[in-house]
Amino acid sequence: MTGWMGKIVKIDLGRRTREEVAVSDALRRAYIGGRGLGVRLYSDLCPATTDPFADDNALIFMTGPLTGTLMTSGRYQVISRSPLTGTICDSSSGGHFGAALKGAGIDGLIVEGRAEAPVYLSVHDGEVEIRDASAFRGLDTQRTQKGIQAETSSKTSVACIGPAGENRVPFAAIMNDKDRAAGRGGMGAIMGAKNLKAVAAGGSQPVAISDPEGYKELTARLERIVDKNPVTGKSLQVLGTSVLVNIINAHGMFPTENFRRGVFNDAEGTSGEKIAETLLQRQSACFKCPIGCGRTTRTRDKQGEGPEYETVWAFGAHLGISDLTAITEANYACNELGLDTITMGSTLGCGMELCETGAWKENLRWGDAGRLVDWVTDTAHRRGIGAELALGSKRLAAKYGRPDLAMQVKGMEIPAYDPRGAQGMALSYATSNRGGCHMRAYMIGPEILGHPVFLDRFSSAGKAELVALFQDVSAVVDSAVLCRFLQFAVGISTFAEMLRTVTGLDFSDEELMKTGRRIYTLERLFNNRAGFGRGDDTLPPRFFNEEFQTGSSRHRRVQLEGMLDDFYAMRGWDRNGVPSPQTLADLGL
Amino acid sequence: MIDLDRETLVKMIDHTELSAHSGEKKIANLCSEARSFGFLTVCINGAYTRYAKELLEGSGVLVCTVVGFPLGAGTSSAKSYEAGDAVRNGASEIDMVVNVGALRDKRLDAVRDDVRAVVEASRPALVKVILETCFLTDEEIVVGCRLAVEAGAGFVKTSTGFGAFGAFPAHVRLMRETVGPEIGVKASGGIRNFKDAWRLIQAGASRLGLSASVGVVEGLSLYKFAPAAWLEEEIPCHLCPSRFANLDKQPKAVYAYYKKKCLACPHLEKYNKFYE
Repeated sequence: MTGWMGKIVKIDLGRRTREEVAVSDALRRAYIGGRGLGVRLYSDLCPATTDPFADDNALIFMTGPLTGTLMTSGRYQVISRSPLTGTICDSSSGGHFGAALKGAGIDGLIVEGRAEAPVYLSVHDGEVEIRDASAFRGLDTQRTQKGIQAETSSKTSVACIGPAGENRVPFAAIMNDKDRAAGRGGMGAIMGAKNLKAVAAGGSQPVAISDPEGYKELTARLERIVDKNPVTGKSLQVLGTSVLVNIINAHGMFPTENFRRGVFNDAEGTSGEKIAETLLQRQSACFKCPIGCGRTTRTRDKQGEGPEYETVWAFGAHLGISDLTAITEANYACNELGLDTITMGSTLGCGMELCETGAWKENLRWGDAGRLVDWVTDTAHRRGIGAELALGSKRLAAKYGRPDLAMQVKGMEIPAYDPRGAQGMALSYATSNRGGCHMRAYMIGPEILGHPVFLDRFSSAGKAELVALFQDVSAVVDSAVLCRFLQFAVGISTFAEMLRTVTGLDFSDEELMKTGRRIYTLERLFNNRAGFGRGDDTLPPRFFNEEFQTGSSRHRRVQLEGMLDDFYAMRGWDRNGVPSPQTLADLGL
Repeated sequence: MIDLDRETLVKMIDHTELSAHSGEKKIANLCSEARSFGFLTVCINGAYTRYAKELLEGSGVLVCTVVGFPLGAGTSSAKSYEAGDAVRNGASEIDMVVNVGALRDKRLDAVRDDVRAVVEASRPALVKVILETCFLTDEEIVVGCRLAVEAGAGFVKTSTGFGAFGAFPAHVRLMRETVGPEIGVKASGGIRNFKDAWRLIQAGASRLGLSASVGVVEGLSLYKFAPAAWLEEEIPCHLCPSRFANLDKQPKAVYAYYKKKCLACPHLEKYNKFYE
């Protein structure tokens, strides 16, 4: 076997037992690894009604056959049922941790049960050891990582939670390699519920490659392609993901003050260009990544990583804040405490509008940069106003009688692209299997950037097919496991070639697209069983009923229903969004 | 439905790197990509012709060198020497820029003689004549095509990529109608993805000058899984050179010509909201 290490280990923290999980060659081929295989294993282990915080819930850390091999392959996926949304969820993070898990000799780790006291898992040379983490209880993610490295090795890669995860904040992140985050969906809270403070991985077991000569040639070719591509070879390298601030603002779809406007007048002051002029110390890169979109920054008092585009927006325009230092330090606080910046910022914006309308008698005000870090800290510790913010926007807005003010889908807050400015993005948000996420089908590519084809952003024509295509390709990339930014430079044919070269299996474009569809449909099946259907494939009413009065996306509303019908038909789902028996049979589900 | 396979597409592509700041590393990368994908040629500046020829030895990929690039305003003897030098260094194809000023002055003999001189100096290489359509009216494009054919050129080509805008289907269609089926038409400039490329092929292009070649080929592989997005009927104004007329970059007479065309266009009433 090449590509995969051939070992997935299941640990029960309560019983302190470990066993190897057998995965057939057929299953591996049908789901590849990472997100796909993780979702399949989770579906087999846990019913859709599983309480995310219950002892019998499983939390799965997965790598893929490409992890630790070709460029951008340091990533890993974490899979479980989200405490924020109740959907199936996979959360992805960069850095080196994925490659470290493979180097430690395993493809994946399934964690069940609950430890009586805080523990961490040490993975080395194929062995998994449960170790006491009492000394790290309550520590932030930076101190935890350093402490575990001191106990193991400075070369160990650590994925851990901070106070937010320990306090089961439903949007707690898992942080690894200092500031990299598996941010979305609250996987960190599940670690907290299991008393699992961290997973530490180290080792130097090589990943076997099927075609070493082809691998060498492919590596060199990919480097050239990525370097030449204007997005991966220039924009992301020089300005990071925040290169998007000015672009999206110019398109009048940079959500401002909880999506009430599409143009933020101070956007320039929070842009990637401004970060480069002021706070940037150096660019930083994940394992074998020639892009290096990460930003290592410094404010007057602190140093850390970020902010990237979504965070700039979440703590900036979304809250009416243009103080780049405050935004950056709120980002640092989220990293240290282990919180998803998107949900944190979006929930604050929801709270500010709730206060403005008088529905919530608190003192959250637009533009109040001075209290950002306090709000973040209180949320992680569930104290004071933070105890309310820790609900996430959906539960917070519902509690105060204005569910319409939560900018979320299925409980997950939508990020930094207003869907009134891009109809395909609206469909992408609405149909995302993990809720309001931009990464399932990044329609900003065709609707704003012209990649891989330029589409009229205000039209709904042709969007359903492309959203489904992007969802399927993304499922493949997340299963391989690689960074999505590669999709700007190469397409499905190259991903198939990468898999063939490493695994020796004759993956074709067609097989991979079907695999992506299988994974997406399996996730949908899980969500159907958890009670999600057509009524959940929607957006907050603001996007159907309110229009911007200024900017280049003015006088637009989302036209979802027609696209949704087309999307279901294309996917072989019925009008309620349930996959048909024929579809399931075609996909081997 | 698009009836085009990958093998046919890659053999229509001149894989292009013409930036002033590109050095040997970029040319080496270009040649390596061309080898991997099997592109027909690499299209480069003259200083790298010999270097590229050596790198591509045995690959079947040809070298195409630009001449009088990008302004076309040098003397015929200078262009001829440049072309001959490129051929001696291994170029199989020459992309020359027409004397745009002479064409707009209607000094037709001067234009024809200029092209002929390069054609003769380039033998046995194929010569493509870049008209730089962004600086011309439709009538001037037609004249430019005829003169190029009369002078013995094998291809007419739309753009350098350094002008006011690149290739548009309307111009390619006009050029194809003018030169007929026996002469090649090369579309170049601003072709960013497979859909751009496909529109130009449909309009009559038999060759594409691309720096985004890899993305275009990858786009074909995605197209087959979601054809509707690529075949969606488009707002004609988005594909019209009049929409991209730019007073800062074009002669004022040419700018006025395109704007006048726009005002007389039957699509204006239906789509004028896009001019808000």
